[in-house]
Amino acid sequence: MTDVAEGFTPGVGKSRSDDNRRDHVPGDSSMWFFVIGDLLIFGVYFVGYMYFRGQNHELFLQSQVRLNLDIGAINTVMLLTSSLFVALGTEAARAGNRVAALQRFWIALAFGAAFPLLKMFEWIPEICSGLTPGTNLFFMYYYVMTGMHLCHVALGLVILCFILRNLKTSKAPQISFVETGATYWHMVDVLWLVLFALLYLMR
Amino acid sequence: MTSLIRNPLTIVWALLTTVTIVSSLIALEGGAAHQINTTVTTAVLLIAAIKAQLVIRHFMEVRRAPVWLKVTTSGWLLGLFTLLLSFYFASL
Amino acid sequence: MSGSVAEVPKAPTPPAERATSWRKNRKLDQWIAFWSVPFFFNLFGLVFVPLSWMMPPRSPSSTTPHIVDFMQSHNLLIACVILTLAYGLAPVSNACYLMQVRRMSVSPAFRYSMMIGAITGAIVGMLFPMFCFGLGAFRPGYNSGVLTMLYDFGYLAFIGSLGCFCVMWMAFGLAIILDENSILPKWLGYYTIWQYVTELMAAPVWIVKSGPFAWNGLMTFWFAMTLYVSWQIIVYVCIYRAIKNQPEAELDNASAELRQAVELRSGTSA
Repeated sequence: MTDVAEGFTPGVGKSRSDDNRRDHVPGDSSMWFFVIGDLLIFGVYFVGYMYFRGQNHELFLQSQVRLNLDIGAINTVMLLTSSLFVALGTEAARAGNRVAALQRFWIALAFGAAFPLLKMFEWIPEICSGLTPGTNLFFMYYYVMTGMHLCHVALGLVILCFILRNLKTSKAPQISFVETGATYWHMVDVLWLVLFALLYLMR
Repeated sequence: MTSLIRNPLTIVWALLTTVTIVSSLIALEGGAAHQINTTVTTAVLLIAAIKAQLVIRHFMEVRRAPVWLKVTTSGWLLGLFTLLLSFYFASL
Repeated sequence: MSGSVAEVPKAPTPPAERATSWRKNRKLDQWIAFWSVPFFFNLFGLVFVPLSWMMPPRSPSSTTPHIVDFMQSHNLLIACVILTLAYGLAPVSNACYLMQVRRMSVSPAFRYSMMIGAITGAIVGMLFPMFCFGLGAFRPGYNSGVLTMLYDFGYLAFIGSLGCFCVMWMAFGLAIILDENSILPKWLGYYTIWQYVTELMAAPVWIVKSGPFAWNGLMTFWFAMTLYVSWQIIVYVCIYRAIKNQPEAELDNASAELRQAVELRSGTSA
């Protein structure tokens, strides 16, 4: 998988300096501690969900139908696109191209902000039609997991704002800070990819 | 602009987006809702794992990271999806 | 070491003197606060688990006779007595955290948030359950409806009192992460953010009475406890190290010579 991407014609990020970047931990390593731990914590939730689903397939299947798969899918693409621009922005910051980095991070923020907005369009009709966390176990897992994820998204948006401020105001962009924030944001994306499959897609 | 399109990251993104649409279609079209469908489930979970791996290796730049990070992230992915699929199939 | 004007004599307590008198240890206050914690927790553990079987939490969907039995049990009475007497240790153990947060470069707003969070948390999370279970234990004669309400109140207050602790852990975690003096390690700050997450995880207990999200559930109790206990142990190891490594000169009750030495070195007037 990785070799396919590397074989393409080099774009903006591919320069000789990339070869020096083997064995590079992006950003602050304490953020990676947080990322891995968070992945594990959500992992327990995911496995718990699958376990309890196994005890009551009927209930989960019936409830799943009430979810809005369209918004779920659109939200997935929003986060993926936002992640793309964060990664592109990080590359630009590393190459010293402040203008491009700012542009890309602004776009990333816009796509990222679309996520909670769309979520409201998803949750509010559901709650109004009586589907609350107390309805059944599926919906409890649904609201708790997507709720926890939404809190992570909100924090991520705040971090992106700090990155934007750093890129705009400091003389030389702090690459480590940008990478640290980017790592967090991509983690939020990865979590959603799993959530999307578990809640909306699987049968 | 073209340099952006030819950027490896953009290629990965295009792949991710396509695969997202594909797996959504699999879930929608692949058999009646309300019913257990092992093919659909296995397909969407494996696709999710591949997507996560792509984001981790390319966007999160783990592909250029030290071995311990590669092992930890791949280990998490492998462990998680093994457990998920095991619990699923064990409950049928 | 700045090249300062005068030759300042280094004035730490000579080792021989320090060894003979623990009472002269300048950090004695912190050590007392620190060691009160394991004592407090062990006492708490004893009271809640083998003595009264309050923990692990009983089922929220217990039947009324079971609830009445529990509320009027002899063991619960003894547990409540001990709790009433030991409640005062809660502020002392929190003082331990705050002493170290004070050394951080972050705004005092963080430690005030921690303080208020700890206070409200202790009142709601410990005092209220104590009253509820105490009423059941010390006052026979309430009808079963009232006892059921007290049972619900007590457990919900204990496990559902997340808001206060949310603020406390968020403030603590952020303070550690933003601190430029690195009093406590950065990864601990991130670990503390998870404490905030576990508090949020407890929110469903208000809604469901059975299953993994009830107050005795797999997700809200057992998983949250695993995260909490491991964090609590680790944070105390880190606090221990921080107290141990704290330079004597920084203490509030540092000796006059040390304080002078620090001031001369940093160029401020005595």
